[in-house]
Amino acid sequence: MSLTPLNIVLFGIVALFGVGFYGLLITRNLIKFVMVLQILIKGVVLALVFAGKLSGNLGLGQSTAATVIVADTIVAVVGLALAVQVRRRFGTLDVPKISTLRG
Amino acid sequence: MALILIALIIGLPWLGALTVLAAGNKNPKWQHGLAVGFSLASGLMALFLIPFTSSRVALDLWLGPSFGSLSFVPDGLAVSLTIIATVIGSLAVIFSVDYMRGEAQLGRYYFLVLFFIGAMAGLVLSGNLLFTFFFWEITALCSYGLISFYNDDPKAVAGGIKALIITQVGGVGLLVGSLLAYANLGSFQISDLLSKANTMPADVLSIIAFCFLIAASAKSAQFPFHTWLPDAMEAPTPISALIHAATMVNAGIYLLARFFPAFESVPGWMEMVMLAGIVSALITAFMALTATDLKRTLAYSTVSQLGYMVYAIGAGGVLASQFHLLSHAVFKALLFLSAGAVIHSVGTRDMTRMGALGRKLPYVRNVFVIGALALIGLPVFNGFWSKELILEVGLEHSPRWAYGLMLLGAALTAFYTFRMTWLVFYGSSRADLHVHPAGLWMKIALGVLAIGTFTTWLLFGGLSGTLAQSLPTHHLEAESTIHMVEMILLAPATWLALSLIAVSLALFWFVGRGFALKESPIWLRELSESSFGFEPVNTFISRGISGLAEQLRFTQNGQMNWNILGIVGALLFVLAVLLWSGV
Amino acid sequence: MVGMEYLLLLLGAIFCAYRAIVSKKILSSTIYLACISALVSAVLYLLGAPQVAVMELSVGAGLVTVLLVYAVSVVGEDALDPASVIPKPLAFVVVGLVAAFLGWMIYPSIQIAPETGPVDLASVLWQSRVLDVWIQIVLIFSGVMGVLGLLSERMPEGSKETHS
Repeated sequence: MSLTPLNIVLFGIVALFGVGFYGLLITRNLIKFVMVLQILIKGVVLALVFAGKLSGNLGLGQSTAATVIVADTIVAVVGLALAVQVRRRFGTLDVPKISTLRG
Repeated sequence: MALILIALIIGLPWLGALTVLAAGNKNPKWQHGLAVGFSLASGLMALFLIPFTSSRVALDLWLGPSFGSLSFVPDGLAVSLTIIATVIGSLAVIFSVDYMRGEAQLGRYYFLVLFFIGAMAGLVLSGNLLFTFFFWEITALCSYGLISFYNDDPKAVAGGIKALIITQVGGVGLLVGSLLAYANLGSFQISDLLSKANTMPADVLSIIAFCFLIAASAKSAQFPFHTWLPDAMEAPTPISALIHAATMVNAGIYLLARFFPAFESVPGWMEMVMLAGIVSALITAFMALTATDLKRTLAYSTVSQLGYMVYAIGAGGVLASQFHLLSHAVFKALLFLSAGAVIHSVGTRDMTRMGALGRKLPYVRNVFVIGALALIGLPVFNGFWSKELILEVGLEHSPRWAYGLMLLGAALTAFYTFRMTWLVFYGSSRADLHVHPAGLWMKIALGVLAIGTFTTWLLFGGLSGTLAQSLPTHHLEAESTIHMVEMILLAPATWLALSLIAVSLALFWFVGRGFALKESPIWLRELSESSFGFEPVNTFISRGISGLAEQLRFTQNGQMNWNILGIVGALLFVLAVLLWSGV
Repeated sequence: MVGMEYLLLLLGAIFCAYRAIVSKKILSSTIYLACISALVSAVLYLLGAPQVAVMELSVGAGLVTVLLVYAVSVVGEDALDPASVIPKPLAFVVVGLVAAFLGWMIYPSIQIAPETGPVDLASVLWQSRVLDVWIQIVLIFSGVMGVLGLLSERMPEGSKETHS
């Protein structure tokens, strides 16, 4: 295995993915959840552009990546809005606690 | 111009749905007014669309290679169904002003009704199979929401779930068929499927054809999915009139008629279509003989009449089926709405407790009798011409036994319709029911439909002209109304059918009247209750899916981390399988 | 060595991602997130996707960071309880396996030299991915609604009872 740029980028994508998934599994704070999703999505954006470069259709990869960035930003915004409202309503951001509350 | 009209026809009801919600349940007057206004405007736009009927694409919005283009085609088939959906929709909304007065959660009710009207128009106007599917699902969703509108009644909830699951079986059929067509043609456009059907491999085409037949049967409550419609009668009555008699159940007929040219050459397809129609028409007519619930009786008769349309398509009579669809939509909406007026007045749906209501509700009786005569198929009413046309087509293009069975069905229709009318409006008063008169808005809606029942058969010439001109692949021939009248009046088959109906009426008058109130024979009742043995099948599908969902609930416990572990675990599984198989 | 810049940038990004997850203070997590965004956008630029790199930098490092800081300032710095519901070794093993499988699967397919093709984002976006643009418009609309919800100071009705 040589350290060509492509191999390095593949490694980076997989690692970002892994760290993101790991974070999703262990995080309990709602705001941090949104952040971890962002990390995961960075890996996805990188992967899309990477795939576009590999298949010789970088334009398609870029446009899909742009869509993903927009969608992901909206997810962050809505998620944060939810988190703020949840904090106001229930007084906690702990996911397991919220899901057992009845409100 | 056509584009603007189509946008308004679909957009106005949807906009209305949002404004009704925005008006809030604290202002019921505003909600009634807005709903009536927006639905009437949409109906008006649909009428304006008539001069623009053509097979040309009105809108062609390119959405990229994987989706094709969002297109709308205002051809004859689409425009006639759009008019039925919006005009009868607005009449049902007008009727609701009186029927739903004082009910809670009017916003939800009108939102779903208006959302439905727009989606139904979109379903028939769409020129892209994918969007047809989307609109198809929206109508199923609205139908579910409205059947279960009284959501504190377990029967209504169960009926809604059953209708939703059974129509979803149809939705899956439509989706699979569309995706197969896309996989082979590379396009979701309906026009491509119609014109290039012969270029597809024969086995793929026949799979698509039968998938679409399943979709149509499930949506139109045809055999073997005929059991959800009677259970859907828990909905408020204007909804039964609009969705479960005049519009949504016609979506299946529309699908069969639309793709008839593509599938006509598939071996066995026409025979299966015909068989589904015959079986549905007959067994539900038998079931209607014993039912004591007014709305259920009407629901059985709806399935039976839809069976006639399906039979007509199976016999190659697309025009006859569309003509009967138009007549049926008008007179069945009339019957349902007047039944709604009766139910609203006396507060029960049990026909054995009614009787002699004609004296107390003369207006409702008059319009109900008009609808009933059209359903029986007596001359001058629209039901007569269209049903005779179907029988005519059947005599020419289907085996004699099929024709004979459909004649028997016509006689049974006369019998149960007469029984129903007699039980509700004539005879002796059996229970001391408090009757309060029908409201003005109800009378307006009923009056318009009653006039329609007298006159819509005059539209035959126009309907056949536009269908023939705007559906080039269907190879239909335009006929004038006068020619149709001549043909039907001179055909011996018509007189045969009429004499059978007369015999059936006489049989009821001299023999059946005494039995109408008695318990029907136990075997007949049991057979009806089990929908001729198919109730268990449908219940199995519906219960099975609900039960499976219930069993899987523990996986959705709301613990986000565990749910994500499930997702990651599934990803791991998929990756492992892929690696193991050496991809 | 060829690709040294990639290696440095991505190692930095992964380190920041790790720090963002394990950090106890939510504000420092936010800063690490902005760093990841900047580093990833540099990699995107090196890969030949400048438009997406600019978007990533402005949105990921700019907008989202601002929103996060704002949200944290509104709700206050909640103590993060590190005791995760799922046992950490289990999570680690599952994620590690997924990452290893993914890498193993993709690795052979990138050994062929990449083709070069037209890099015209605008034409692709407006011709073959028009639906994406429409969806983006709808998404941005819903995002605006979300921001309104985020900024609304009004307490939801009946929240006084449930507030603990």
